This record gives sequence, C-alpha cells and structure tokens, in this order.
Amino acid sequence: MSESDTYRFQVNLSGMINILSNHLYSNPKVFLREVLQNAVDAVTARSQQDPTYQGSIHLELTGTGAGSTLMIEDDGIGLTREDVHEFLAMIGQSSKRGGADAFTQETSFIGRFGIGLLSCFMVSDEIVMVTQSAKGGKALEWRGNPDGTYHIRELETELSPGTKVYLRCKPDCEMYYESELLQQWIYDYGALLPYPITFRDGQTQRIVNDQRPLWLDDPERARGHREEVLQLGQRLLGEKFQDYIPLKTASGRTGGIAFILPHSVNLNVKKSNRVYLKYMLVSEKAENILPDWAFFVKSIIWTDELQPTASREHFYENEKLEQVRQELGDSIRAELLRMAEYDPDRLQRIIQLHALSMKALAVEDISFFQIIYRWLPFETTYGRRKVHELMADGQKMYYTTSLDEYRQITHVASAQSLLVVNGGYVYDAELIALLPEVCAEAQTERLIPEDVSLAFTDITADERKQYYEAVRYADVALQRFRCQIQLKRFKPEDLPALFTLSQEASDLRSIETSKSVSPLALTSVLQSLSSSLQESAYSTLYLNINNSVVERIFQAKNESMIVVAIEMLYVNALMMGHYPMNRQEMQVLNQGIVRFLDWGLSANNDQGGHTE
Amino acid sequence: MNHQPEQINPDFEDIMDQAYSLPNGRAKIALLEEAIRIADSLGDVEQGYSAREELVETCTFSGHPMKALVAFSWLLGQFDQQPDEYDDFTLLWSYKWILDSIASFPEINRAQIEELLADMRRRYEQFGYSERSYYYYRFSILKDYGEVEEAQHFLDKTKAMDRDEMSDCEACEQHQFVEFEVMKGNDEQIIRTARPILRGRMTCGEVPHLTLSKVLMPLYRQGKLEEAEKYQKQGYRLIKGNRDFVLHSGEHMYYLLNIDLLQALEVFEQWVGLSLDHENPRDKMMFNAYAAVLFKRLVADGNVKSVKLPAGYPYPEEANDLPAIASRLEQMALETAGRLDQRNGNRYYTTLIQQL
Repeated sequence: MSESDTYRFQVNLSGMINILSNHLYSNPKVFLREVLQNAVDAVTARSQQDPTYQGSIHLELTGTGAGSTLMIEDDGIGLTREDVHEFLAMIGQSSKRGGADAFTQETSFIGRFGIGLLSCFMVSDEIVMVTQSAKGGKALEWRGNPDGTYHIRELETELSPGTKVYLRCKPDCEMYYESELLQQWIYDYGALLPYPITFRDGQTQRIVNDQRPLWLDDPERARGHREEVLQLGQRLLGEKFQDYIPLKTASGRTGGIAFILPHSVNLNVKKSNRVYLKYMLVSEKAENILPDWAFFVKSIIWTDELQPTASREHFYENEKLEQVRQELGDSIRAELLRMAEYDPDRLQRIIQLHALSMKALAVEDISFFQIIYRWLPFETTYGRRKVHELMADGQKMYYTTSLDEYRQITHVASAQSLLVVNGGYVYDAELIALLPEVCAEAQTERLIPEDVSLAFTDITADERKQYYEAVRYADVALQRFRCQIQLKRFKPEDLPALFTLSQEASDLRSIETSKSVSPLALTSVLQSLSSSLQESAYSTLYLNINNSVVERIFQAKNESMIVVAIEMLYVNALMMGHYPMNRQEMQVLNQGIVRFLDWGLSANNDQGGHTE
Repeated sequence: MNHQPEQINPDFEDIMDQAYSLPNGRAKIALLEEAIRIADSLGDVEQGYSAREELVETCTFSGHPMKALVAFSWLLGQFDQQPDEYDDFTLLWSYKWILDSIASFPEINRAQIEELLADMRRRYEQFGYSERSYYYYRFSILKDYGEVEEAQHFLDKTKAMDRDEMSDCEACEQHQFVEFEVMKGNDEQIIRTARPILRGRMTCGEVPHLTLSKVLMPLYRQGKLEEAEKYQKQGYRLIKGNRDFVLHSGEHMYYLLNIDLLQALEVFEQWVGLSLDHENPRDKMMFNAYAAVLFKRLVADGNVKSVKLPAGYPYPEEANDLPAIASRLEQMALETAGRLDQRNGNRYYTTLIQQL
C-alpha cells in the first residue's frame, strides 16, 4: 500500500476518553497505573540498550485540592520527535515497530503507550510531557488537550534522558491527587518493581516500594522468610494470614504466593487473586489464573508470560493461560501432598477450614484423594467424623446420595447402629463411593431408603396368618395415597412406622402438589408426566410390630378402628419425615383426631371403647 | 452404641441461606426442596413461591428440567391467583426455560405443547412484550421436532422482528442458529455461524459452553484438527461436572473417539453417572447414542476389556462385557428416539441415531 492511499479514521478524542473511562477501565485511578507503566516501559527499553543502567521512577505532588499538580518522572529511554508522533498520536499503535496487532501479539513492553497516556484525561484537562531521548537531540515538550489537538515544542537544551509527565487536577477529581491515596495506589501497582519508586509531597520524600522481597525471583525461597511473606500478604491483600504455599511454573516465568484463607469460604465466592505482569499490577481480581478448586487461597502472582486483555485487567483465556493455571494448581497440590507426609497437623488444620475445597480437589484427582482421605470429615449417623475415625471399627459404610434419603432413614439406621454417611452434600456421595479405590479396607455401599428394610425382621408365617385380614384392611385404606403396607419387626421399638418414598414417588408427590394449583395448559402437561410415573411410584409404610401400639392395632378386630389408626400412623409418619400433606391427607388427619377424641371420651363415659 | 444423628434444623430461612451458598446442583436442589416442604407444610405461599422461583432457575441450569417444569407450574398457578403479589418479569422469563426443554419429553404431545406456546404468547402480549419471543420459541420447538422447513419459516419471521427485553441474549440466540445449522448439516455454514461465538465476541452464562462441542465434528471433517483440539479442551473445561451438559459431554465423546479411544472412554466414565437418572430424556438419549458408538469402536479395537461403571449403574455385571453395554446403550437410545418420533410424527431421531 503506498503512502498516498493510506487514510486514518478521524477519532473523536473526547468520545474516546469517555469510552475509556466508562467502559474500558474499571476506575479512573488506573491513570496512575498507565503512567507508571509508561515509565516502566521506558526504563525497560533503556536497560535493554545499556545493561549497566539502573532505572528509577519518581513522583512529585505539589499544591493541594483543586490546585494540585502531579509529576511522574522516569530516567528511561525518552522519546524522539518521531516517537512522540507515533506513540502519542495514534491510538492502539504498538510501541514495537512492525508489530501486526498490538492487542494480540506478545510484546516486550507492558504498555501500549498512546492509549495509556490518554487515560490521564480522566483526571486532567491538559497533559504536559517533557521528554529527552537517550539517542540525543534537544528535549521536547508535548502538550495534549482532550479535544485531540497537541503541540510539540523543542526546548533550548539537552536534558538527561527520561520523561516527565505533568497532570493538573481536573474539577471533581481532587481525590485522585490526595497524597495518602496516591502512595497507596503506587504501592499497589508497583510494589514488586525491581527499582525504586520515590514519592515526594512537599518536604517529605520516601521510597514507596522499599521492601521488595528478594525471594520474588525464586518463590521456593519464600519458605525461609515466613514473617516477611505474611507481612507482604497482609499489606497487599489486606488480610492477616497464617499459612502460605509458594507457587511456580516449570518455566519459572510465573511465580507467586498462595495465602491460605484463615476462614471458610463458600463455593460461590469470587476468587480474587492479585496478578502482576512484569512486576506491574494487572489485576486485583483475576479469577481465571488458578484452578476452580483453589478457592481456599488468595494469591499474589507475578508473570511475564501471559497476555493481558485490552483493559489490562484480565488475561486472555488461551492455551498459555490454561497451562499456567494447571502448573500453579500443581504447585498447590504438591505442597498439600508434602504436608500429608511431613506435616500432617498443618494439613489437618487446612482441611478443617476448607473441607469443601479439599473435597472438590479430591473428586478431580484420585491420587490426591488417596493422600488426604483419612482426614476428610463427613456427616454420619455417628455424628460428624473423619474417615479414619469412621474406619476404626471396620464397619461397613453406607451412604445415601441425597439429603432426602438420609433423612428418611437416619432414625432407623442409627437405632440399628448402621453407619450411614449423608451424601446429600456436594461431593460427599461421590467421594464415599470412590473410597474403596483408594483404601482397600474400606467397604462402602449405597443405601436407598427401601434397603433399610433389609435389616428388618420379617414376621413369621403364623403372624402373617394372624394379621392377614388386618393388613388387608390397612392396605386398602392407604391405596388412595399410593402407599403400600409392610409389617415388620425393627428397632427402635418406640418408632411405630417408617415412611419411605422412592424417587419416582417423590416426584409424583410434587407433581400432584403443583397440579392442584396450576393453570389448565400446564395441568394437562403434568398429567402426562405423572401418568408415566404412576406404575413405579409407590411409597411404603413400614409398620413396626415390635411397637406396642402397632401390635394392639393389629390385634383389634374392628375394621373401622384399624383403618382410622393406620391412616393416622400414615399421616404421623409423613409429619415425622417433614413431608407436606395434600388436602386429602389433611382431611384424614382432621377427621382422625375428631374420631379418636370421640372414642376416648366415650371410653371414659361408658368404659366401652367402641362406638358405631 | 446409640449415637443420635445431628439435628436437621427445619428453619426455612436457614435452609434458604445454605442453599444460596451452594453452586447449582443436587445439593442445592435438595435444600430448596426441603425449604419448599417446610413452607408448604406451614401453608406459607409466599415462602413456597420464593423457594420455587430459585428452584426453577437452579434446576434449569443443572439438568433437572422436569423438576423445573413442576415447580414452574405451581408458580404460574399461584401467580394467576394473586398477580400483584409476585414479580411478573421473572416468571415470564422462566417460561422460556420451560419451553426450551418441553419437546424433550416424549410423553407430552404436540397439542399440549401448542397450548403452552399459545399460553406463553397470550401472557407475553398481556404484559406488553413483543411476539418475537413466541416466534423464536416456535422456531426452536419445531427444530426440536426435526422439522427443518417449518422451523426455517419461523426463524425468518423471528429475524425480521426487533428484539425486546424478553428476548434471549444475542449469544444464546446465535447458539440456537448454530444448532439449526448443525441440523441442516453444512459444515462450513455451521462453523461460519459459530464464528462470533468462537472468537469470544458473544458470550453469556452458557455460551460458548453449549456451542463449542457443536463445531468439533465439522472442524474435524474439514481437517482443521488443531482448531478442533483447541475448542475441545476449552469446551470440556467449561462443561465439566455440570449435569446440564450431559448431551454436550456426549458430543465431546463422539469427537474424541476419532482421536483417542481411551480419552473418549474417560469422558464416558466421568459422565455416565450423571446420565443415569438424567431428567431430560432427549439429552440422555443422545448421550447413550454417542456412547453406543464408542463401545462398538472399543469392541472392534479390542484393547479394552472392562470399564469402570458408577455406583448405581443398573447392570454392574456388564462391566466386563463391552458388547452388552454397546447394545444396551443403543437399544435405550433407539427406544427414546422411537417415542419422540412417534410424538413428532416423523423418523428424525431414529435416523439421526442410526446414522451415527
């Protein structure tokens, strides 16, 4: 393409700034990150040409409130006149000549000069830059206005190489010129930079990033600097931690510290990690840099191998990121495995706080499960217990796959000393099912409510004959509730009846509930759904003949008495199991109470016991 | 020994709080159902309503369309009794989720579905929303029936109208267009339609999760293996472990069996547990159909002699009998396909499965 047919779009700069401030960046304070980044780029570029050169960055705040001016100075490579035109005037232009697309190509500079400086218009109506190229020539002064115009003036003298940017407080932007905040932000953005950033406010001057830790280049060495590491964690992440894990990828180009959260978090919590790209802060809330299961840590991570998105606040989800994520996850995993071997107490403390996270990881990785399973806690009929405690007696471990099932059988199971794990919580059923694969001695079996009845004792043939009529009455009575009767002997004796519900029957119950209130179009749909369930959807009421009340009911000869009593046991069992009752069942309850009151009263009056 | 089980606290608010803290899935559903039971047994309609609202959403996005439908029916009924008490937008929005899966149930006939669509149309009109959603779902359901031309007609109608606040997000709509292209079967067109999603320009809660598995075979057939591999990895990570994507896990499996049989088998082993009691008959059917192809290939290949079947698999004795698994899976898939085709009045699903 020849020079003559190259055209550029006219960019409306104020519109652009509006887009930047309202859409691209999350907060105007990022102007500071952008100017720092430009300074860092300049220093990086100069040190590439001159290996002996040691860079530095200096910021100076003068005036107060609306009259504040902020100056940002670096002693980096500086800009020539051509650079100025190219870097500052063209939005989106890469600072690397010949680069095809600055947004997708990896460059040796963090920033993209032009777009970064424009962000300063969010807090200043004029940007003044004085720059001296290390290539020599006279110093240049550039003045840019938000309407898109700029002027370049050549200064009389040659200065020492570097760039100064002056920003003057724009109305309503006073907070971005407050000394305390500025220092905090500078620290946030640049704490890890390998050369000093000084800040001067009036008479006082200090180095903001004075405590750059030496172990940054080799996170493994952080193990020997516990206090320092925890302090940095508190300063950068605002939390007091007790424990941490060094992170490192194989290439060594990404490293970090994962601080173990001192409190439990729920699975939905936003994972917020603090990520530095070439030692400059890119994101305070990077979610995608650690695996999903790592929600029990908050991390500081530094990298030079990932690509930031246009806003430079996240990373592109690409294969590189996938690999980094995997390797950082491996660091955490390996450390936990090490703890299991050398420091089990420490691991136990972590598991106690973060059982859910550990379980999530164990489900994903069976070898990890193998190492930590003994300390994982589960809710069981013996209380909340760790696996090694559950296994101490060599008992078979039954588990349910839902809270519902667990609740149905928990009374009976504990009375019979069955060890049942509540598998209703995320991952629990899955892990218990997997247990025999990691631990040969463990015996586990899925238990469905109907199975508990396997432990029940059948009644004898004689009893069957004796109660035949009564059972038939009872069955007929509960037919309309799609419930069948089983007469058994079981513990505990004070439990007269146990109601169990198959999944189909449970679905059917909720369909019936909805059908009674839903509009016509849906009633017919629900009808179709329920008809396919009808056949299998029977619930079972186990009656315990060991229970004296049940025994007396079945010995009674009065059919109507048996029917009412069974109906009452049925609704009672529903209530015990927290099942909401439908209209028909409510009616049974109400009528039953009245009937029994009546019987009780007439028994008192005439010592009879029978009405009708 | 007599250990008392821990008391399960029956307080509605507590249980709802616990439910909110969980990701979508069975544990959360169990808690919400528990909350509903408590509300219902106390006769508290308002609590019953709010718990069911949450249940409908949770079930929709974690692969329990039947539970969602049942709870939604209840909501709609209560809403009709006291329309001023509840939020109409949320309810009408969730109507679309119901229509998304309604055609997956063979026991629900076309007249009933037609009636639901009419009901949705009437309600949207009543609250001032555009008819576009109605046409769009008409398209989507006709697509589910396997009627390409009819679906095309309503798709054209939809595209001619302006979107409104009831419209699905653009990413979701684009995904539907991709599915439609998959049905029409032109690989180039499928990939082209998926491009905006693949480039990351259109995303939402379920896109590109749903879309990535759709382009794997088209890319594979076009010889774009690197690209296919990339999207397979990316897509699989997004859907992993969520029962809602059991159909898509099948698509990953189907693609992978061309690349690496063992990797495909790994996908099967990871998902078969979720497929067993899956509530969406059509998704389960497709998973079984893809798995049947996998097992036939394993049998032909001969290197694998036994597989890991999950607890609760109804035929555990088949773990060492791969031909038996293959024919059972195929038979289950064809059985559902037969029922869907009978309802739809064509042979679309049977043919689709036989041609895999």
